[in-house]
Amino acid sequence: MKADQDKCIACKRCFPYCPMGRIQTVKRHEKIPGRFFIEIDQEKCTDCGVCLRANICPVKALYQPEMLWPREVRGILSNPLIEFKGSQVPGRGTEEMKTNDVSGRFRPGEVGVGIELGRPGVGAYFKDVEIVAMELAPLGYEFAEENPITHFMKDKKTGKLRDDILNEKATSAIVEGKCKLENLPVILEAVKRAAQKVSSVFTVEVITKVPPVGEIPIKPILERLGYWYSINTKNNMGLGEPAFRFYEEK
Amino acid sequence: MTHSLHRRGNLEDLKDDFVVLGCPATGINKAGSAPKTQKFLSICYKNGPINLGDMKTGNIYNTTMDDILSHVTDGTIVQCTFDNREKIVSLLKDLKEKRPGISVIISGVSDIVQQCMEEAGLGRIHTIEYSLGTWGKTELLPEFEILKTHTMCGHAMIGADLIRKLVRDVKRGRRTVEEACLEMAKCCTCGNYNLTRGIRLFKELLPLYMVHSLY
Repeated sequence: MKADQDKCIACKRCFPYCPMGRIQTVKRHEKIPGRFFIEIDQEKCTDCGVCLRANICPVKALYQPEMLWPREVRGILSNPLIEFKGSQVPGRGTEEMKTNDVSGRFRPGEVGVGIELGRPGVGAYFKDVEIVAMELAPLGYEFAEENPITHFMKDKKTGKLRDDILNEKATSAIVEGKCKLENLPVILEAVKRAAQKVSSVFTVEVITKVPPVGEIPIKPILERLGYWYSINTKNNMGLGEPAFRFYEEK
Repeated sequence: MTHSLHRRGNLEDLKDDFVVLGCPATGINKAGSAPKTQKFLSICYKNGPINLGDMKTGNIYNTTMDDILSHVTDGTIVQCTFDNREKIVSLLKDLKEKRPGISVIISGVSDIVQQCMEEAGLGRIHTIEYSLGTWGKTELLPEFEILKTHTMCGHAMIGADLIRKLVRDVKRGRRTVEEACLEMAKCCTCGNYNLTRGIRLFKELLPLYMVHSLY
């Protein structure tokens, strides 16, 4: 996002709308005496577009220039209105468990593990995303093919991202994939290691198919290993059609 | 996407906070899903959501229901936010009977969602996603009271600074609490912001902050 210095009057109304915090500076206009304008730090801005959509600028100075690769990844992951063509889902993730009732993406014995960097409200550079991906890759973690981050990988076996995006930043970026249930403790240990190395925050989420009877399989693992998990969850109701047959007879 | 999963708060904070998503599946039922999604939206609307929207079009606080309905295409993911469990039970009964055909996801306190499903005559939750919290440099996060409001928009479109600015505005008499919360609802494009909970949280937040000057 940029502010047109010939229109901007440095009223600062857009400042609080930025989820990345105070990333603007006030500058003196070189050609118009007495005029000040704001300059948005392009290195910190993630092109999420919230300041523009808030329609807060009284002189319409804010504008989103067309961004070329690799800068355009910022908008792809940060602006919820932009759809990533690989996932065909607006925003930075995939359908993951939302359509598991019809897709069968996460089957009994499998666990979806997502790590969303930069969230909530801090932002993350892709070099941090790479740290997480590279910790997980050698451990039998299967990256979600349709996820933008997987598309940006140079080598899916190592989790290495393309070099040209490493210094780009997004409001948040999700590493998505799945592993075998018995592998979950090892994967979470790797995530813990990554947490020591990154310069941002990330949220961690785990997905499992709920069996028709009995305990939810990941709960005893999380409790035994002492991981905190939330009382609020995302729950697929199983109303999609045609229903995927998880327990069909062999 | 996990933008409705990581809402922060205790049971009292979250017990009346539900985000309902309607999502067609790519390669399975996405082609021709627009009328199904519109049907899903209409069923939700009838049950009185506090917010409703589609990521690309906006929510009912920055556009109209007709506009949202008319912009639904094959593959559109829609979100409706509810502020009490009775509405969720009623909604689930309607969805069970009318079966729009797309996947339905409800984010909320899992025990309450499960109870609602049972009351509506549905079985167990099909697939569940847990948040394991925030890891890494957590010292960069805003204070927890701010986070409770901030995490209602999973895309982080309600910045911590905006919340603080709106606290100042209300304290200085420039906006009412309701106007401040409406401003936040407009920023959260998808319609995940629960206005009822937002107003309650904002009223709890007000006494915690001092402003340098009231003018």
